[in-house]
Amino acid sequence: MDLIGAYEMSLLTTIAIAIIFALSLNLITGFCGQISLGHAAFYGVGAYITALLGKAGMALGPALFIAALATACAGLAVGIGALRVRDDFLAIMTMGVGFLFTGIVRQQDALGGEVGISAIPDHGLGRAGFMALCLAVAAGLALFSLYIKKSWMGFAFDSIADDEDTARMIGIDASRFKLAAFALGTGFAAIAGGLYTHNVGIINPDSFGFIESITVLAMVVVGGIGSVWGVIGAAIVLSMLPQWFQFIADYKLLLYGALLFAVMRFSPGGFAALIAGAVARLRRGRTVTS
Amino acid sequence: MDPQLLFELFVKGLVQGSIYALIAVGLTLVYGLLRILYIAHAGLFTLGGYCGVLVTNATGSFPLALAVAMVSVGLLGMVIYRLCYQPILDQPPYVALIASIGLYIALEEVYRLIFGPYGDSYDNPPFQEIVQVFGVGLKQAEIATMVATVVLLSILGLLAARTRVGIAWRATVTAPNMAESFGISILQVRYLNFFIGSALAGFAGVMVALLNNLAEPGMGAVPSYKALAIIVLGGLGSVRGTLVAALALGVIEAYGTIYLGALLDRDAIAFAFLIAVLMMRPKGLFARA
Amino acid sequence: MIGKKIAALALGAVLFGAGGAAAETVKIGFNVPLTGFAAADGKSALTGAQLAVEQANAAGGINGNKIEIITYDDQASPKNAAPGAVRLIEKDKVAVGISGSYSGATRAAAGVFQKASVPYISAYAIHPDITRAGNYVFRTSFVGEVQGRAGAKLIGEMLGKKRVVVITLKNDFGKSLARGFKEKAARFGITIVNEYEYSIKDRQFGPIVSKVKADKPDAIYASGYFFTAGPLVSQLRSGGVDAVVVGQEGYDSVKFIKIAGKASEGVIITTSLDRDSKSQETRDFIKAFEKKAGFPADMVAASGHTAVKVAVAAMRKAGTTDKKAIRDAIAATNLVASTGTISFNGLGEVQKAVQVQIVKDGAFHHYAVIDDAKLLAPPAK
Repeated sequence: MDLIGAYEMSLLTTIAIAIIFALSLNLITGFCGQISLGHAAFYGVGAYITALLGKAGMALGPALFIAALATACAGLAVGIGALRVRDDFLAIMTMGVGFLFTGIVRQQDALGGEVGISAIPDHGLGRAGFMALCLAVAAGLALFSLYIKKSWMGFAFDSIADDEDTARMIGIDASRFKLAAFALGTGFAAIAGGLYTHNVGIINPDSFGFIESITVLAMVVVGGIGSVWGVIGAAIVLSMLPQWFQFIADYKLLLYGALLFAVMRFSPGGFAALIAGAVARLRRGRTVTS
Repeated sequence: MDPQLLFELFVKGLVQGSIYALIAVGLTLVYGLLRILYIAHAGLFTLGGYCGVLVTNATGSFPLALAVAMVSVGLLGMVIYRLCYQPILDQPPYVALIASIGLYIALEEVYRLIFGPYGDSYDNPPFQEIVQVFGVGLKQAEIATMVATVVLLSILGLLAARTRVGIAWRATVTAPNMAESFGISILQVRYLNFFIGSALAGFAGVMVALLNNLAEPGMGAVPSYKALAIIVLGGLGSVRGTLVAALALGVIEAYGTIYLGALLDRDAIAFAFLIAVLMMRPKGLFARA
Repeated sequence: MIGKKIAALALGAVLFGAGGAAAETVKIGFNVPLTGFAAADGKSALTGAQLAVEQANAAGGINGNKIEIITYDDQASPKNAAPGAVRLIEKDKVAVGISGSYSGATRAAAGVFQKASVPYISAYAIHPDITRAGNYVFRTSFVGEVQGRAGAKLIGEMLGKKRVVVITLKNDFGKSLARGFKEKAARFGITIVNEYEYSIKDRQFGPIVSKVKADKPDAIYASGYFFTAGPLVSQLRSGGVDAVVVGQEGYDSVKFIKIAGKASEGVIITTSLDRDSKSQETRDFIKAFEKKAGFPADMVAASGHTAVKVAVAAMRKAGTTDKKAIRDAIAATNLVASTGTISFNGLGEVQKAVQVQIVKDGAFHHYAVIDDAKLLAPPAK
């Protein structure tokens, strides 16, 4: 019999997709400090493109690739617009982009309108194969993020996040890096969206709205902005919360909100800070006793 | 193009805009003072709505309900400031944002758990008579909302400009250290700020529950993000800007939903307008210097 | 060492065996929105379903075994419903699944149930694609288009109104109703003067009301749920629009009347629940539900109740372990429930009469019945 049943496999797949989505936002928000409240729009663009290409007969691989590329272009366009605004204005503007996306998609019958798109041809990988693909992409993105962090690009991202004006002064072309972050982040969000489409089987505008954008932002912030491991951890916890708390279904949303609030109130650096703090305390404890 | 219809749409837009203004002003007061985006504000709005319905149904007195709503919501706002925001004031803005969102979700769920998911209505809603204003039939409640908006915001404006409290408030925003050395209690100003902003949200909640004849747990969901768009549009921190932006948005939505409805839905119209403005004036319509 | 292992094995066997020997509970999976924007309907559907289970257990359960509902809160979202369905099937090992949720979530779950060959009944979700997922999926309520067609006959022929404004809730519920209505409008002599749409989040309809007033229609066909229809009807009346308003089962709740107050008088709806029904089934249900829930029954609760009844009846005939036998038993259902006589066609769609109710003196009352078999024929494939 299988060690991992169909239920566990579906959970792992969902987690993997959440990790990809969260890490993609981490590239934009975590590394470059640009708060995006509309990231689900790019997730959605990727999902819709993949769905339409799939219905037109394209295989999963090429469909994901095209979706990522097209979305990255859209992300670039938004990024260029975003250059003009900072901080809170950026947050609101990206929120606006999110609403524009769902608002337009809702009204287009060609995209399924309110009802969305369903009956998407099977990807042919089987449940286990698809799960492996999602996990592989998630792992790949995690490694990629870690690599960026350690590289010169990561240094530039950090400086921009810390203090953009100073970064500019020391010669870092903030605009180019911000755009790069937007393109990469939105491209990966599109991949997450395409995988989501095949995981759930039907997509509609409601799945890519403001609530989704907030959820993924919460994953990044609760994880600890910029921390790859923290964000992965938060993605796992927050996406599995509804499942784990099914037994108190009536209270689970309350718990979710309370959790978000509690983490921000008591550990604003997120999971990363919590773990770093615990590790530091352990270290201190050891040196004292040894 | 029927001019009477166009005029009627304009007036309806102003009514909706007044609702938006009442909700958004509290938000801009908080932002102006603390630079935080206070989404939980919408949760207080909802509480005001429930207070209005439940107290009126229990006691039969709408004015009493209004007073209870404004005072209790105002006090709750102060409590939220003390317990939730004060400890994280020195953190980056996204911390307060996510905390606020978590708080809003929790509040919405608390209302659903306590009051049930179906919502509550007035047994005998007051101010339902229709009044003809320039050929447009408006409910008394709608007129009351518009008048209240103008009156309350004018009072706010006067307070800010003419009274010691108002001057102290402005000083706290622009030069907190100096303000402190002049003996102004920053803490008191902040408490007052949250009280007033939250009380206004409570008032808005009562009026909206009256206009819809429904107070529901999720009634703050749309205001939570619409109000954000409005205060940004108006120029963060500017009460006057917020009023103008709110009214403009109400009118644009009124025309937009009828004539552009095939292309974009209501929220998209609002945000398209927002993005267009931001591209031309990245700091909003009435940015503070 | 070996002694310990044997003891452990024995203990395991006893526990395992003990679990197997005790009376089996029959599990019915139920996905429903308990939190989120659809929580109101979710609560109604769940209460109706729970009532049906209580009644069935009181009558001896299924061949002596107790029935248990395993609830899964899907927040009316396909994203949650799909893994929820997997969990109900794999972890909870439900014999049958029932959807107390909206169309998006139900469609996602239906695909999963069909693939796993576990019977699935949609209580009130109306999107036509749900039953197209396969032969294991059934629906005990009207497809949206069918109800829309009934609305056209109601307005054009029975009420004799010809100039109609259509106000549509922008989701699959509203849109499929509008589609059915428009499909048959011309046949009943209806001219659609204008169409408007609104979002499920809207509660203020000022601009639409003004525009409708200028249109001067004879009747208004408006789709919505009680929390949108209530404000809409109230604002139409205070805006000076007197045309008769015809709604559908989304209005079917006492909350609609509470919100709209006097404005709700004279509103006519197509639905499945007849408050003045002469049928014993319906009257018993209405009484029992109000006793259990503390408020009058609505259509969603009745639908949840009906779906469970169908599932229980099928399992009483076919047992609880052979899923194919249960499916066949459901397909052969011929049962009188509170929402009408339930029997399914080849696609798993139900064919029954449409109840028309009118709001009179602050409550829903019988107005008419539409029984045109050809008009109300559900899709067959």
